[in-house]
Amino acid sequence: MTEQGLQSGWVVVCDSAKVTPGEGFGIALGDARVGIYRLDDGSLHAIGDICTHEFALLSDGFVDGDQVECPLHAALFDIRTGKCHGPMAFVDVPAYPTREQDGKVLIFV
Amino acid sequence: MFLYNHWYVAAWSTEVSGQPLARTLLNEPVVLYRTADGQPVAMEDRCPHRRAPLSLGKVVNDRLQCHYHGLQFAPGGACVRIPGQERIPASVSVRTYPVAERYRWVWIWMGNPDEADPDLIPDYRWMTDDQWGAKGDRYHVKANWQLIVDNLLDLTHLAFVHETTIGNAAVAESADVKVTRGPANVLVTRWIIDQPPPPTYAKVGNFPGPVDRWQFIDFTAPSFLRLHVGATPTGTGGPQGNLEGGIQMRNLNCITPETESTTHYFWAQAHNFDPHNQAVTDLAFEQVSTAFREDVVVFEAQQRVIAHCPDSKEIDINSDAGGIQARRILARMHDAETARQSVPA
Repeated sequence: MTEQGLQSGWVVVCDSAKVTPGEGFGIALGDARVGIYRLDDGSLHAIGDICTHEFALLSDGFVDGDQVECPLHAALFDIRTGKCHGPMAFVDVPAYPTREQDGKVLIFV
Repeated sequence: MFLYNHWYVAAWSTEVSGQPLARTLLNEPVVLYRTADGQPVAMEDRCPHRRAPLSLGKVVNDRLQCHYHGLQFAPGGACVRIPGQERIPASVSVRTYPVAERYRWVWIWMGNPDEADPDLIPDYRWMTDDQWGAKGDRYHVKANWQLIVDNLLDLTHLAFVHETTIGNAAVAESADVKVTRGPANVLVTRWIIDQPPPPTYAKVGNFPGPVDRWQFIDFTAPSFLRLHVGATPTGTGGPQGNLEGGIQMRNLNCITPETESTTHYFWAQAHNFDPHNQAVTDLAFEQVSTAFREDVVVFEAQQRVIAHCPDSKEIDINSDAGGIQARRILARMHDAETARQSVPA
């Protein structure tokens, strides 16, 4: 079990078609929030969705290349790794392994 | 903070006549009047002689005559008469401002006149389109103009400030919100699906059941907010793009700073259902007017609190995403104007 009370393992989170380049798709998994992204190269990524500065959902923010900008104070996070590049936020968000199967997106928690 | 190189609404067309109209815009005293052939004129409202406001005077043969010593200024700003004096030095003139009349408003350009291209006036065609009915007003608000920009970009406040008219709980708690942005523009898209219509919509729309309500907020710098709002009965395909079969309105806002702490708030409500029915136009206007007067109370109270303690901090919440992007655009434009030093002294 994870700390959110979820069974550890691969979890189906949404239809593949929900995740398109240029914008994040936010989901709730128990108490956790995860943002799913598709980059222009078609690759799929999932990172923690809550900005480490103040409460804001990164999936509501602005995707630029392989970074997402927080909608409130413009902190940048790497969509591939969750690494934080500031400003104002300094702590990374988690990155989750992802895969697609039968038109569904799965992430590993 | 003001942005100068933009068009602003100076007045409703009906306000500008052969009688001078005094109006402070971006902290500059301006006088507006109309020549005999109907052309609007905007001048600095200050006689260069002893600095009496020219708006105290009167229009004589298309010239504005100072009330104090009778100096006359032509629509181009040149002094053309000084009583008791044969010659008029060429340097005696007042500043004039480019003006244009469009969408039932008189627009003014407060920055570098060489850049005043009327094609830059934002599109408010619903004001004059025969397929729409529209009615509006001007509120003098004792608050900074950016507080009004913030307000229109975060419509969660409808649930709390406007619960008797255009708001209900759903508008804050059940909205699917998306924010996109451009160099001078922010678009906030809000959908509230399968929820009861708010009181105003129930009045003008006669919906039998729940509705899918949309609020598309277009912010265009510096202070133009054009809202496309409406609702269709739930299940008729609104979110998929079919916006017919319900009501559609345009809430049209042109926010003109008067001073740093006061604002001319020009707005109108347009509707495309029964567009020539004055009773419908009046009803839509009255509903929004009620709501906007509630907003003015908030703006002026905010301004008092901010003025009392200007350095106090604010926090941001999720629904501020659109407003924050707008503020960032405005700050960037202000930096650019300042760097170019094109701001008139």
